[in-house]
Amino acid sequence: MGGELRLEAIWSRRARAFREEIVPYIRYMAQSGFTAFLSLIFISSSIGYVTLIRDLPSGFPIAAVGVAALAPVLCWSPLRTWLAPADTVFMMPREADMAGYLRRSVRHTAVFGALLAALVLLLYLPIYNQGPALASGWLLAILAAGLKAANTWGAWRERRMAWPGMRRGMRLLRWGLTALVLAAWLTREGWQAAVFTALIGLLFALVHRFPARHRFPWERLIQEEARTRNRYYAFFGLFIDVPTLPAAVAKRSYLAWLLRAVPNANRYTYVYLYTASFIRAEIGGIVIRLLLLACLVVYWLADAASLSGWGAAAAYGLFLAVLAVQAGGLRHVHRHSIWKHVYPLPDKRRIEQYLKVDRVVVTVCAIVAWLFAAIPLAMASIYAPSISAAAGAGVYIALRPSRMRRRLLLDEEEGE
Amino acid sequence: MDPILYVHDLTGGYSPKRPVLHRISFHVKAGEMVGLIGLNGAGKSTTIKHILGLMKPQSGEVKVGGVELEEDTEKYRSSFAYVPETPVLFDELTVEEHLRLTGMAYNVTDNADGERGEALLEQFQMTPKRRAFASHLSKGMKQKVMIMNALLAEPPLYIIDEPFLGLDPLGIRSLLDRLVEVKRKGAAILMSSHILSTVEAYCDRFIVMHHGKIVAQGTLDEVRRAAGMEQRGGTLEEAFYRLVAGGNA
Repeated sequence: MGGELRLEAIWSRRARAFREEIVPYIRYMAQSGFTAFLSLIFISSSIGYVTLIRDLPSGFPIAAVGVAALAPVLCWSPLRTWLAPADTVFMMPREADMAGYLRRSVRHTAVFGALLAALVLLLYLPIYNQGPALASGWLLAILAAGLKAANTWGAWRERRMAWPGMRRGMRLLRWGLTALVLAAWLTREGWQAAVFTALIGLLFALVHRFPARHRFPWERLIQEEARTRNRYYAFFGLFIDVPTLPAAVAKRSYLAWLLRAVPNANRYTYVYLYTASFIRAEIGGIVIRLLLLACLVVYWLADAASLSGWGAAAAYGLFLAVLAVQAGGLRHVHRHSIWKHVYPLPDKRRIEQYLKVDRVVVTVCAIVAWLFAAIPLAMASIYAPSISAAAGAGVYIALRPSRMRRRLLLDEEEGE
Repeated sequence: MDPILYVHDLTGGYSPKRPVLHRISFHVKAGEMVGLIGLNGAGKSTTIKHILGLMKPQSGEVKVGGVELEEDTEKYRSSFAYVPETPVLFDELTVEEHLRLTGMAYNVTDNADGERGEALLEQFQMTPKRRAFASHLSKGMKQKVMIMNALLAEPPLYIIDEPFLGLDPLGIRSLLDRLVEVKRKGAAILMSSHILSTVEAYCDRFIVMHHGKIVAQGTLDEVRRAAGMEQRGGTLEEAFYRLVAGGNA
C-alpha cells in the first residue's frame, strides 16, 4: 500500500472487495431453488403483462398506474459509498479530496438507478400509448431523465441535512413533488405541465436553500452503507448462514402495545425478547411489508376470481411460504448473544418460547392474508379454494413447530 | 460459612495445549468485595469467563452458591449477575425494557410494578433516557444500563469487569454507593479494575494476577507482604507495581 493512496483507488478496491464478498452467497442462492422461484415469478408476470397490454380494460387508470410505477423508481436514490465507521478517523482528514471518491459512488448508483427507471418506463409506454398519450414517448423519456437527475441531487442534499426530522420531511416532499409532476405530464396538455413543472422546480430549489447542512455527511453515509449491507445479508440469510451484523432497529411504535401485552413473568422472558426483536428488527419490517403485498395481490386475484378462485389460493400459498421462510430468520437474531448463556434460564425453555412467538407470527400472517382471499371469494359465492387454502395453512402451521425445533437444536449444536 | 464463589485449582484457556490460567484458587464470601487486578492479558477476563461458564475448565472446579454449573445450571446462573467490560445490550430494547427483561429473567417478583427499576433509573440519572434505544446511548450510559440491570437482579454474587470505563463521575459514585449497600446486605462482589486507588479504597481483599497465575492475594497488608514491602505502609499501587514489574525486572 502506497503512502499516498488515491481515494479513487480506495473506492475501486472497496467496491471489488464487496463484490468478492457476496459472490459466494449468490452462488448459494442460485443453488437453493431461488432462481426457479424467480423464473416462475418472471414467467407469470410476463404472461400477465402481455395479456394486460393486449387487452387493456376500458376503465384502466393509465395515469395513476404511471405515477405509481414511475415515481418510486425515479425517487429512490440510494448511494453506495463503502464508508465504514473507522473512516471518521482515517478518511476524514482527507475530506477536502473526497469529491472524486463521491463522484464514483454517484456514478455507480446512478447508472443502476437510471437503467431500472428506463426499464420501468419501457414497460409502461405500451400502456401509456393506449390512452390519450398527450406527450410523446421521447418527451416522457426526457422528463424521466430530468426527474431522475433532480432526485439524485435532492437525495444528496437531504443526506447533508443536519436535522433528521427536516431530512424526512424533505424526502417526503421530494417524493410528493415528483409524483405531482408525473401526474401533470400524464394528464395535462404539454404547456400546462411545463408551467407546472417550472413552478414545482422553483419551489424545490427554494426550500433547499434554507436548512442547516453538513459539508460532508460522514455519519449519515456510514449509517446508510451499514444499512444497505445489512439488507444484503438479511436477504442472503434466507439461504445460508451469514455473519451477524449489528441489526438496524426501527421503533415501530404502532406495534409497541404487543410488547407491553407480554406478561411480566419469568416464563415469558424469551417471548418478550423475541417479540421485541420481531417488532423492531429488520425481519419485522420485511414480514409486515410482505404481508401487505400478499394481502393486496391475493385480494386482486380473489376479486377478479381468476381461475375460478384458485389463482388467489395459489398466490396465498406462495406468499405464505415466503412469509414463513422470512419469519424463520428470527431464530438467528440472538444466536450469538452472551445473555443466552448468562441468564438463569434453561436453553430448552428458550427454544419453546421462541416457537411460541414464531407460531403467533405465522398464524397471524396466515389468517390476515386468508381473509383477503376468502371475503371477496365468498361474496362471489366461491368457497372451495378458500377452504382448501385454510386447510393447507392449518396443516403447515401444525407441522411447523416440530420442524423448527429440530432446526433450532441443530443450530444449538453447531454453535457449541 | 461456605463462600459464594469458590474457584479451586483452575487451569483453563481456549486451547488445552496453551492454558491461559494456571492452577488458580480463590474465593469470595458473602458480604465481601474482592478486587481482581492485573495487567492487560494477565488472565482476569479469562477467569471471569470461566466463572460465567462461557469457558470450560481444563482442570479444577468453579462453584457458585455451592454448586458447579453442570450440577444445577439454573441455581448456578441465578446466583450471579454480570457486568461485562464492554456493554452488551439488545439494540432493539429501550432502557426500561432492558430492566423489565432482566426482571423476568431473574424472576424479580417485586419488580412487577417496576419500583426497583424506577429507583435505579433515578439513582443513575437515567430517567430522561428511559425510552431511548440502547443503540442511541453513549458508551457510559450503556455501561450504566448494564450496571442497573445487574443491581436489579439482586443476586448473591456480582461479577463486575472494569465497571468504570466511560462512566461519568456521578455514575461512578452511584455505582460505588450501591455496591457498598449490596455488600452490607450480604452480597459478594468480584470486581476487576485498573483504577487501583478505587479498588484499594473499596475492596476488602485483592487478587493480583500476572501471566495467568495468582501472584498475591489477601488483605492490603498481605499483598504488601507478598510484594516484599514489610509493615511500613504503602499503597496497593506500589505493591502491585512491585509484584508485576519488580518480579520481571
